[in-house]
Amino acid sequence: MSEELKQRSAEAKIGDSQITLMKGNEAIAHAAIRYGVDGYFGYPITPQSEIIETLMDEAPWETTGMVVLQAESEVAAINMVYGGAGCGKYAMTTSSSPGMSLKQEGISYLAGAELPCLLVNVQRGGPGLGTIQPGQADYFQTVKGGGHGDYKLITLAPNSVQEMADLVGLGFELAFKYNNPACILTDGIIGQMMEKVRLPEFKARRTEAEIRKQCPWATLGKSADREPNIVTSLEMDPALMEMRNIKFQSKYKTIEENEVRYEAINCEDADYILVAFGSSARICLKTVELAREEGIKVGLIRPITLWPFPSKAICEYAQKVKGILVVEMNAGQMIEDVRLAVNGTIPVEHYGRMGGIVPTPEGVLDGFKDKIIK
Amino acid sequence: MNTSNIVSPENLVYAKPELMNDMYMHYCPGCSHGTVHKLIAEVIKELGLEDKTIGIAPVGCAVFAYKYIDIDWQEAAHGRAPAVATAVKRLNPDKMVFTYQGDGDLAAIGTAETIHAANRGENIAIIFINNGIYGMTGGQMAPTTLNKMLTSTSPTGRDVQTMGNPLKIVDLMALLDGVCYATRSSVHTAAAVRKTKKAIKLAFENAMAGKGTSIVEVVSTCSSGWKLSPTASNDWMVKNMFPVYPLGDLKNI
Repeated sequence: MSEELKQRSAEAKIGDSQITLMKGNEAIAHAAIRYGVDGYFGYPITPQSEIIETLMDEAPWETTGMVVLQAESEVAAINMVYGGAGCGKYAMTTSSSPGMSLKQEGISYLAGAELPCLLVNVQRGGPGLGTIQPGQADYFQTVKGGGHGDYKLITLAPNSVQEMADLVGLGFELAFKYNNPACILTDGIIGQMMEKVRLPEFKARRTEAEIRKQCPWATLGKSADREPNIVTSLEMDPALMEMRNIKFQSKYKTIEENEVRYEAINCEDADYILVAFGSSARICLKTVELAREEGIKVGLIRPITLWPFPSKAICEYAQKVKGILVVEMNAGQMIEDVRLAVNGTIPVEHYGRMGGIVPTPEGVLDGFKDKIIK
Repeated sequence: MNTSNIVSPENLVYAKPELMNDMYMHYCPGCSHGTVHKLIAEVIKELGLEDKTIGIAPVGCAVFAYKYIDIDWQEAAHGRAPAVATAVKRLNPDKMVFTYQGDGDLAAIGTAETIHAANRGENIAIIFINNGIYGMTGGQMAPTTLNKMLTSTSPTGRDVQTMGNPLKIVDLMALLDGVCYATRSSVHTAAAVRKTKKAIKLAFENAMAGKGTSIVEVVSTCSSGWKLSPTASNDWMVKNMFPVYPLGDLKNI
């Protein structure tokens, strides 16, 4: 660790190894500063405004040099991310459901121009203005491509404040590994709840020379030894545009083969499996416990990457169990991917609450008995 | 007379700007874009900023601006160039960042991004081509379209009672504290071209000096969209556009 970083760690209000109590939203902000993010561009919206508030309070422009800017709209914020990402910088934005809808145009352009960046959606219940209470109804929007065109977002689903902090780094790592936007899809529960967290160590922000080396495509000014760099998603020749799409699809296939992450809990001896992500998975952990107290052997699969989806793992577990219940705070979205993975071999049912209502472990257990055991 | 006696360095009075790429331009005959591109290429070279400049291209006729000037470019979504430029400049304060936008891009779909970037006083230059029409999509009405002007979406002429008035967005921007330089020029005569070049140069210098946002509006022709010959377009512009969009500095501090 360089002297500068050592000093930064020593001066930080929260030490590197210290365990602190904080909100998930705050953890995102701290993790971003510590990862060496270059620019944050956001717009206030509940339930995620603590992210920009924490950043403004921490004033990282005085320490790491990170730029924090409150944009005039979600639309402007995502296009600022485009500008920053086009320079090879670590650029990010955060929002909640209605704001993410506004960003979809920009996200499609980011994917089309193959720009790496980090997005965070602290979901609330919808549709429309909906509610400020938590929801998971943006699964389709995030995983299936909410903007126009054939593209994919690397989607990470944290289930704790610790993972909120950890997935910031992983998100940027994957985004830059594949030149593709990555999104942390979380919700108002994880964003607002306070938990213990150990923040990641400080990393130095990259120098321009390092960025030029890491991202030879970045628009940082044309040096005499190279052709101009053009960041664009435009190609008027359909034959070339199809080639571009084929290249994207091949990249997505590589990501699907290499980057699936999930957690399987109590699945080894399970007769039944719950599949849930994020805060629903936290609730299902308790349901697994309650079911096992009654002698029902239930396990839990928690996808950490929603795209790429752990289809193979779910397919394999489906050979060993009698039924699967998918638990989500929506009307049934991830269940479509679970059903595709299972391909009709066993019953796959859905238990969901909507509009900002959070399921209880007991409610999930009742739903499980009702829909799966019958 | 042998031309080789004439074509020699000491007789050189004009040359293609070094930063203009060797390729056919897609612009129509009589269009102002090509001239403004040339001026930008000249100014960047004269200021020695070719390795420090990042241009932000719009959606509109200038969507391919990045093909013609030999610098790094980003292609923005429609209207979003000032937001893109904001981040490029904030994250690279030592670079020269400019947007190149048409009236539909800047004054309709991108109004919010334009006003707010200028209001924050982002240290960027905005080159604004105002030809009163959506050229690229086939001559539809723009916010800058003149009263009674014929376009494909105002086929009997713009009715300001129902379709709105010509938007003088640079007048509006000149009121903002973040704007250090707002000017309106044209490129229909040699003298006008020279004036516009000076304006672009000042705008780029302001961006490097961190003085705030500069906007250079170039009142332009669109002979295809206006359905006039190039020379008739120039005359039409002088007669009809200039009274609504008078040339000159609106602000220079």
